[in-house]
Amino acid sequence: MTVDPNAATQGFPAPNPARRSPGAARYLVPALVASAVAVGLGVYGNVHDPEGTAFNLAGFSSTSAVKSWLATAAMGFAVVQLVSALMVYGRLPGPSWSGVLHRWSGRIAFLVAVPVAVHCLYALGYQTYEPRVLWHSLLGCFFFGAFSAKMLLLRSERLPGWVLPIVGGLVFSALTVIWLTSALWFFRTFGVTT
Amino acid sequence: MKRSGPLLTLLAGLLLAVFMLSLNATTGTRSTTTGSDSAADAVSASPAPAVTATVTPSEPAPSSPAPSRSAVPDGDYAGRTDDDSSAVAVTLRDGKAVAYFCDGRDQESWLKGDVESDGGMRLTNKKGQVLTGTLAGKRIRGTVDMGQRNYGFTADRSLKPNALYRATDTVADTEIDGGWVLLQDDSQVGILKRDGRASPAPRIDPETGAVTVDGERLTARPVTP
Repeated sequence: MTVDPNAATQGFPAPNPARRSPGAARYLVPALVASAVAVGLGVYGNVHDPEGTAFNLAGFSSTSAVKSWLATAAMGFAVVQLVSALMVYGRLPGPSWSGVLHRWSGRIAFLVAVPVAVHCLYALGYQTYEPRVLWHSLLGCFFFGAFSAKMLLLRSERLPGWVLPIVGGLVFSALTVIWLTSALWFFRTFGVTT
Repeated sequence: MKRSGPLLTLLAGLLLAVFMLSLNATTGTRSTTTGSDSAADAVSASPAPAVTATVTPSEPAPSSPAPSRSAVPDGDYAGRTDDDSSAVAVTLRDGKAVAYFCDGRDQESWLKGDVESDGGMRLTNKKGQVLTGTLAGKRIRGTVDMGQRNYGFTADRSLKPNALYRATDTVADTEIDGGWVLLQDDSQVGILKRDGRASPAPRIDPETGAVTVDGERLTARPVTP
């Protein structure tokens, strides 16, 4: 793992281009996986009967509060993602370890977001009863699809330089709207409580 | 050489999700098994004596098995749906809840279930309608799934001791079944069914529960789980 997966990959031609899977498959596989993840989550959330509750963490008044704080943590790491990505691409002055920072802040943000999504889908399900909830459900499923695509695209070499920033930007934008329609709404409705 | 880091990240997320789901599935079954019998059936099954309607078949035994559920305080909550079309009342007693959803015209639903110690609740009935909500502070926020539609609602803690009333009786060979939500602003939303036909309910006396239906004086009783 000496290769920086976040470096602009078009600068490193594959040593043996004939061995690479041909053109479209590089995009097709991540796109198909992303669609399967997003649609799969949505279908599960819709078909599965919401349980209304799930286990809670000690020290918090409600699962909604736990989720709001976890989501806020993920959002914080996502901001680190944006800044470190700009560093990796040389748009901001950054340290030599900005690639490592990008990788690990992304991992943590993703792993923090997973329990939130599990609770959402398990306890609440895919809901459409008001615009805020509809957008949250829609983008919540989209986020994990887009994130899967981003991870799989990282494994492809010789991508056009704009692919990763676009997909990464989609992931970041989706998470931002998800956070605005859930955690921020929660803090504004119930107050900033634990 | 293909990079394995991103795949490991996805795998870790997947494992975490599966772990959380299994944890949920093993700890969250309680609420689904105990919410099976509907409030409506529990009420109508009770032998209604004479004129006044009985809502609770009997007072809940003090030894009700709720040692871990005492974290949620008893109380009555009432409020409107987000679209302002309907009212919702929830009564919490000893970790159990009964709820009434009512649009004041022809749509109503009685729901029943347990309240978790974190304030989460999932109330159900036999028609497959579901209320999911979370008690946070003095407010319950949630949704009612009426089958063809979902309603978001916010119910604030009632200032009066009771926010949810029901009356069942027979007047002139007609079965009367009424339900009322008493809102904080002294307004009421209720439905009165005569042999199953729904119509807006007349106002009840918020102090005594007295109500006059077709010339007969009935008493609506507070509903408790």
